[in-house]
Amino acid sequence: MSNKRTPLFNHHQSSGAKIVDFAGWDMPIQYSGILAEHKAVRENVGIFDVSHMGQIFVTGPETVEFLSHVTTWDMKRQTKGDCRYCHILDEEGHIIDDTIAYTLSDEKYMLVPNASKVDDIYDWFLSNSNNFKVNIDNLSENYFCLALQGPEAPRLLGQHLNTSVGSFQLVSDGETIVSGTGYTGEKGCEIIGPLNEVVTHWEALLEMGAVPVGLGARDTLRLEKGYLLSGQDFDGTQTTLETGYSWVIDWNHDFIGKEALLKIKNTNYSKLCGILIEERGIIRPGNELSYEGNPISKLTSGTLSPTLRRGIGMAYTELGINDSITVKVRGNNLNGRVVRMPFL
Amino acid sequence: MSEIPDNLSYTKDHEWADLQDDGKVRVGITDHAQDALSDVVFVELPDVGSKFVKGDAMAVAESVKAASDIYAPVSGKIVSINDKLEESPELINESPYDFGWMVVIEPEEKLEGLLDSNSYREVID
Repeated sequence: MSNKRTPLFNHHQSSGAKIVDFAGWDMPIQYSGILAEHKAVRENVGIFDVSHMGQIFVTGPETVEFLSHVTTWDMKRQTKGDCRYCHILDEEGHIIDDTIAYTLSDEKYMLVPNASKVDDIYDWFLSNSNNFKVNIDNLSENYFCLALQGPEAPRLLGQHLNTSVGSFQLVSDGETIVSGTGYTGEKGCEIIGPLNEVVTHWEALLEMGAVPVGLGARDTLRLEKGYLLSGQDFDGTQTTLETGYSWVIDWNHDFIGKEALLKIKNTNYSKLCGILIEERGIIRPGNELSYEGNPISKLTSGTLSPTLRRGIGMAYTELGINDSITVKVRGNNLNGRVVRMPFL
Repeated sequence: MSEIPDNLSYTKDHEWADLQDDGKVRVGITDHAQDALSDVVFVELPDVGSKFVKGDAMAVAESVKAASDIYAPVSGKIVSINDKLEESPELINESPYDFGWMVVIEPEEKLEGLLDSNSYREVID
């Protein structure tokens, strides 16, 4: 089966993008270069085509009850115009995916799962919806998503759509939704709308000076901020507690996976820790992590931080902050320590 | 389009080799290789004095996304390395055939079995 492409595929190619397979999509990994694109987002403004992300709509009179059941968050606490980052767990408390829930109204929510998990989440929602008066529609094929990120992003959004949006808030105009969300830790927004309008948005925002940014810099930007990458930092075998994201759980409501989480809540478990390398060298996912010479874990993420010019990564360990560790890279042990995230 | 100087020899793994007047061989990676790798952010070079057999991995060039082994195009001893790459690995991107050279090898054998510029162009086209 051939890979899917967004309507911007030809634009990416003519901008000199290198294309890679990502979750069954032909997506740009970089345009001018990861370092320059990373810098553009930290210091100016970048734009990402993330139309491979999913859009699942839940509608009906029991939308709030249903989504509170299948996510870690109590949606009764949301009001129209709120966005909420939360996890979707299985019965064992393992993370199936992380997502942002958009409150379009009390009876209409949009969720944005990761590209590789859209079908899983759609099936999971359907199979758990029997007791709720809801409709679940996977409209991922109908919508684009562009992320406009960086200190200059609010200015460009104002010029382009004559609007502004607060952090984790949304504004909508017809089928177009703008949310104060992103995956870079910078100011900015994500624009979601009908697929046939994406080229107009892309061309206008590039014309205003937004720098096209690929998935390569998307990864370095999110890792500097300690954000999780689905399928990599959690792969279906870790709970929300182990990722250190317990703030996404509202314990005052019942949800799938809650009982399993309560059982391990007061036990000792490995947690996802930040790893900072203190000498020259780059760490990669899968590199072995050792403490006092003994291998204890493997990195789930690892890269060079373009901002810090150091190797940074994540690994599940029971170590404490500032413990000295080594990471084995091609037979060499690089010295580093456990640090609190975010790195930046 | 990649630059491929006529006066150099090439490997199918995208190293270039420059046979100098004193018989030593200067080695680096090609324009095509640096472009494929993109921003080089870290270079690991061998120690001066170490010996390699043709085809051995002798150095590593890393971009943000990937690490790439650099193979010896000829058997011999490392007599010089480009120290500047430690502080400025981007020289490999900016000047792959000049300031971005990696090592100089004192060969133990004749420089042979490599590609000329036309044959190398066929490899990457």
